[in-house]
Amino acid sequence: MLKKFWKFVSSMKFAITLLVLLALACAAGSFLTQHQSYEWYASRYSERTAAVIYALGLDDVYHSLWFLILTAALCCNLLFCNLLRIRPLIRKTKEFSDPQTLRSSPAAHAEITQRPQAVFEALHFPKPKEIEQNTEKALFSKRNGIGIWGAWICHFGILLLILGFALGQTTGVEYAVYGVAGQTKPIADTGYLLTIDDFRIGLNEDDTVSQYTASLTVSDGKNGEAQSAQVSVNDPASLFGYQFYQNSTGWAADVSIRKSGALLQQETLCAGESLAVRDLPSLALCFNAFYPDFVMIEGKGPSTASGKLLNPAYLYSLYYGDELIGMNALLSGEVITVDDYEIRFSNPQNYTVIQIKRDRFTPLALLGGLITMIGLILAFYLPPKRLLAIPDPSGYSLIGQSLKGGLLFSEQLSAAVKEVSGQSDP
Amino acid sequence: MLYAENILFTAVMLIYFAAMIFFFVFVAVKKDLIAKIGVLLLCAGLLLHTAALVCRGIGAGRLPMTNQYEFAASFAWGLCLVSLVFILKFKFPMLGVFAAPVIFLVIGYAAMQSREVRALMPALQSRWLGFHVATAIISYGAFGVSFVISLIFLLRERMKDQGFFDLHTPKREKLDLISYRSVCLGLLFLTFTIVTGAIWAQRAWGSYWSWDPKETWSLVTWLVYAVYLHLRIRRGWRGKSAAIFAVAGFVCVIFTYIGVNTLLPGIHSYA
Ligand code: HEM
Repeated sequence: MLKKFWKFVSSMKFAITLLVLLALACAAGSFLTQHQSYEWYASRYSERTAAVIYALGLDDVYHSLWFLILTAALCCNLLFCNLLRIRPLIRKTKEFSDPQTLRSSPAAHAEITQRPQAVFEALHFPKPKEIEQNTEKALFSKRNGIGIWGAWICHFGILLLILGFALGQTTGVEYAVYGVAGQTKPIADTGYLLTIDDFRIGLNEDDTVSQYTASLTVSDGKNGEAQSAQVSVNDPASLFGYQFYQNSTGWAADVSIRKSGALLQQETLCAGESLAVRDLPSLALCFNAFYPDFVMIEGKGPSTASGKLLNPAYLYSLYYGDELIGMNALLSGEVITVDDYEIRFSNPQNYTVIQIKRDRFTPLALLGGLITMIGLILAFYLPPKRLLAIPDPSGYSLIGQSLKGGLLFSEQLSAAVKEVSGQSDP
Repeated sequence: MLYAENILFTAVMLIYFAAMIFFFVFVAVKKDLIAKIGVLLLCAGLLLHTAALVCRGIGAGRLPMTNQYEFAASFAWGLCLVSLVFILKFKFPMLGVFAAPVIFLVIGYAAMQSREVRALMPALQSRWLGFHVATAIISYGAFGVSFVISLIFLLRERMKDQGFFDLHTPKREKLDLISYRSVCLGLLFLTFTIVTGAIWAQRAWGSYWSWDPKETWSLVTWLVYAVYLHLRIRRGWRGKSAAIFAVAGFVCVIFTYIGVNTLLPGIHSYA
């Protein structure tokens, strides 16, 4: 019973089943919009469909339990299959070097009267060795023996790749910090502080963005040790073992609040953030959106005509407690007045979103990918071949074998024999 | 440079069209010489096409593989290259009869796209992008050839009048083998494509795999062809079943190339 189970788990039948199921699961996950709420699915499809989607974890296929189980099963399958195949492959490698086994394997045959070495040469075999065959001196050569291991190496690479990916997913961490030049913010609970020294947006002649570049300094909150680097899109930096990426950008502005003419508070607010008035916390300002080149389009509402700072406008909403008491688009220089308070927006600038990651297993996944590619090259492009030339009364009898593409090899063998015979018979 | 590219591109289209016509005439009049001219035209087309892509690359100051026009033009180039390799390696001009129309269709699709040279958005400014797209082109080309050969195989099965067809296509076993070989080439390059794409994504977005639809579909395609290889080994699925499978596999390739962009949302939508 146990033996049967072991056999099934390492079988190719199981492998094919798993690969088909995984392909279907991946396809399903790409068709169904992922990571939505129950209500979203219910309104898009129906209550019942939403219930099925949630029950089967189809809202997040790639992290659902059954998808993980399928992947884990594939790993076990690959592992057992590869373990079981080590001995047979060693045997196969040995047999491959043994010319005796050629006689009992399916092989290509040809006859040549003289110069058998030339056939070896024409088929790119290394110089053949002389061997004893039933008291006669035969010639034998082989090439691409390593190709026997191609599929094994490929499978091993896939295992490493999945392992690296899984470990990275479970142990890796990811944070995001956003801010404008000059700001310093903690990186979650890592104990490190991130200072955005500078943030620039480079433009092309046609005003499209050529590059986003941020200069960063990271300091250790405990001992003050600091490291600096520049990051731009496609060019991340590594500081204190974390990777820093220039991820995205948005607009921020300075907000100042005056009470009876005196400055009460001043802060930099990114679009989307809100701020409570210091001595009246139930009065809150939300900076909803920013339009660098403000236009009002009928039927569409506020919009921006370009990315340039030509006519900046700040869309805000004001709350008192839970109640919305005001909402408007404020142009430069305009003021919001609420009782004694005056609120102004100024100094619009871009903020940057820096993504911070640590995944110690990325190199393992990369190694897995490289090994998979090497395995594929070996399996497909180094077909193990061997050739034996045995003297017989009319010259030499040639026996050749290619462990892959036997049909082509026999054609190549006859072509080579023809060519060599043609050269030697004037 | 871009002016030269324009002229070359038009010439290439005409040459591929002419090659297609010659291959059709070959089927009609059954003269080997005409197929040879078709093959020569494909070779000439490929040379000029290479020159056109080089001009575009110099004119744009980067690898010519970043928008729909450039990718489709490069895809046609890859198809032509892989087809010619198989035509010459296996002495198989009949392949041209089927490959030339496909090449012409793809280059026609390219001609309908905007040829404007635009500055690259920051995420696309990566040398990994070059490797990624170049390997994808070879991979798609190879899968395309396996598709065409599998179609020929299936047609041969059905055709009653087999004289001409038999004479000009390799034996069934050999067709099967060529199709298998091109799947191998395609799968190898698809693996390169996925790995280089992952490296690029890691640098640009901080994550080498994020289950974006295009990534996911390249994985589906990869899995489908892996199943094809294992079915061949385990169940001895050769010949007809393998040919049907290869045709189905190519449907996945086409879906990954066009369907994903138009039907599913994702960060790959510019490619
Ligand atoms: C994850 C996807 C997989 C890929 C991409 C893959 C790839 C390959 C490749 C490229 C070959 C060589 C085929 C040929 O030369 O025609 C192969 C052969 C093979 N695969 Fe897989 N494989 C996968 C999964 C598996 C699994 C899970 C098993 C477990 C049983 C398995 C078992 C085998 C066996 C027994 C062979 C024949 C080996 C040989 O000829 O030495 N494969 N595989």
